[in-house]
Amino acid sequence: MDGTVKTGSRTIYELAVPGSDPEATLKKVFAHWLEEKKLDAILVPAISKTGAVTRSLVSAPEKIMATAPLLPAMGINGAGIIAEIAPDPGAKSKIGVLLRPCELRAVVELVKLQQVSLDGIVLVGIDCPGTYKTAQFLQIAEGASDFNNNFIRNQDAYTSDSRLRHACQLCEFPAPLVFDIMFGFLGMNPDEELLVITAGEKGAVLLAPTFPVPLEPRQDEPAARVEFINKLRRAREEAIRTQIRELDERLLGAENVVRYFADCLNCHNCMKVCPVCYCRECFFESDALNRNQDEFVRFSRSKGMVRMPSGTLLFHITRMNHMMTSCVQCGICEDSCPVSIGLSVLFKKVSRNAQNAFGYLSGRALEEPLPLTTFREDEFTTIGEG
Amino acid sequence: MAYEPKIIGFLCNWCTYAGADLAGTSRLQYPPNMRPIRVMCSGAVDSVYILRALLEGADGVFIGGCHPGDCHYVSGNYKTRRRMVLFNSIMESLGLDTDRVLLRWISAAEGKRFADTVTEFTEKLRQKGPSPFKTLWEV
Repeated sequence: MDGTVKTGSRTIYELAVPGSDPEATLKKVFAHWLEEKKLDAILVPAISKTGAVTRSLVSAPEKIMATAPLLPAMGINGAGIIAEIAPDPGAKSKIGVLLRPCELRAVVELVKLQQVSLDGIVLVGIDCPGTYKTAQFLQIAEGASDFNNNFIRNQDAYTSDSRLRHACQLCEFPAPLVFDIMFGFLGMNPDEELLVITAGEKGAVLLAPTFPVPLEPRQDEPAARVEFINKLRRAREEAIRTQIRELDERLLGAENVVRYFADCLNCHNCMKVCPVCYCRECFFESDALNRNQDEFVRFSRSKGMVRMPSGTLLFHITRMNHMMTSCVQCGICEDSCPVSIGLSVLFKKVSRNAQNAFGYLSGRALEEPLPLTTFREDEFTTIGEG
Repeated sequence: MAYEPKIIGFLCNWCTYAGADLAGTSRLQYPPNMRPIRVMCSGAVDSVYILRALLEGADGVFIGGCHPGDCHYVSGNYKTRRRMVLFNSIMESLGLDTDRVLLRWISAAEGKRFADTVTEFTEKLRQKGPSPFKTLWEV
C-alpha cells in the first residue's frame, strides 16, 4: 500500500501573503513548482475564456496566473479525474492535484480500491468553506470583484450561506484529512497568513531548497483555526441532525422508500458521477438483469402488473450496499440527479451508519482497510448462530 | 388463496447444501416453502441477489454458510458476516424490515439444524405476513 500519509511526520508552517492577496500567493507557489520542475503539471480550478468553470492541468508556469485555486464552485468530484488518468502505477511524470477535503477522501478510497496509483500524484489539499454549483457560482460572482478572495475573507458568512451546495451545508470535514501538502485559511486572516502543512517526504520536498514566499515553521496549527473548525463542525452537525430528522419522516418504511425514489428515471447519473463508484463496468449497465418482452410478460403475470422501468429501487439499494462504506458524502450525485432526488442527506445518514458499524471513516487514512475486505474472527459473533 | 411465505435460499455448496441433503436422506420433515439455490460460498451472495428476491416478490431470503472457521475458502463466511452487518445497517437506515433475511451457519452434519431453521423461518414469515414489496407498485 502507498504510504504517503504518516500522521506523525506532519510539519506546520506559516506562509506570508504578499499584497494581501491569498489567491495570487497560491498561484505564485504553484508557478514556482512548475518553474523549478518540482512538478510537471498541476491540476487547478479555473474559469475558461468562454466562461466555463473547469479544472485545468497546467504545465506552463505563466498560465497559472489565469487559474483560480480558491474558486468556490464544484461541478464534479476531482477524484474521478485522478482515477481516469492515474489508475496504474509507473507514471513517469509528477503532477500536483489541488483538491478539496471531500475529493481527497475520495482519492484515498480509490487508492484502497486499487483504482488510483499515487506514484506520480502529489496530493495538494486546501481548506474548503463550501462550494456552489457551477451555474449558481457564475451567477453569484458575476460583476463581483475579487470574489474568490472575498469568499475566504468572509468565512463566517459564507460557511453558512444557504446557497451553498446541499452537501456542503452538511459537511463536517472542511479541512483536508489526507494530503502530501495542504494550504489552510479557516479561522485565520488570509490577507496576512496562510497555513502550510506537509505530511511526509512527498510534500516536504516542495518547500526546499527555494520557496517564493516567506515561510515560518510553527509548533501547532493556530488556535483560532482549530476553534473555527470545531465551531463550524458543531453547527453543521446540528444541521445534519435536523435534516436527518426531517428525512426520516419522509423516508422510513417500505412505502416511503418507494415514494422517495419514485421519480427515478434509471439514468444512472448518480453512479456515473460518483467518485468512489469503482467498477469499470457497472453490473447494472450489463445484461445480467435484462429481461426481454416475453420474460417481462411472464414476470408481470406472476404479480398481475409490474412497474416499468423496473428495477430502479433494486439499483439504488444495491448501490448503497456497494458504495456506502466508501461514500465521502460529496453530494455530486444529488447535483446530477435530473429529478432532484434528495441523495445528499440520504447518503449522509446511510453511509454514516454503515461506516460506524465497522468503526470506519471513508478517506480518513490510507492504512485503514476497506470494511468489506477485512474481518476479525471475534467480531459480530451472534450473527448466523441463533 | 391462503398466504404461504415464499423463501429464496442461498445454500453454500460445502456445508448448508450438504446439510439440506442430509435432512432429506434422514427423512426429516420441514415446510416446502424454500426454493434452494446452490452457491459455491455464502461469500458469493452479493446483496443484489438478496434484494432482487425481496423486491420481486420473495417473503424471505435465507443464506446458509459454513460455521466460522470452517469455510472451504478459508474466510468467505467471515466476509459474508460483515456484508450482513452492512446489509442490516442499510435496511435499518431506510426503515426496512431486517427480519426477512436470515443468515445461519449450518454444517454438512447438521441436517436437523437445517430442517429446524427452515421450519422456524417459515413460521416466522407466516406470522409476519406477505412482504410489503409485493404490492408497492400496484396502481
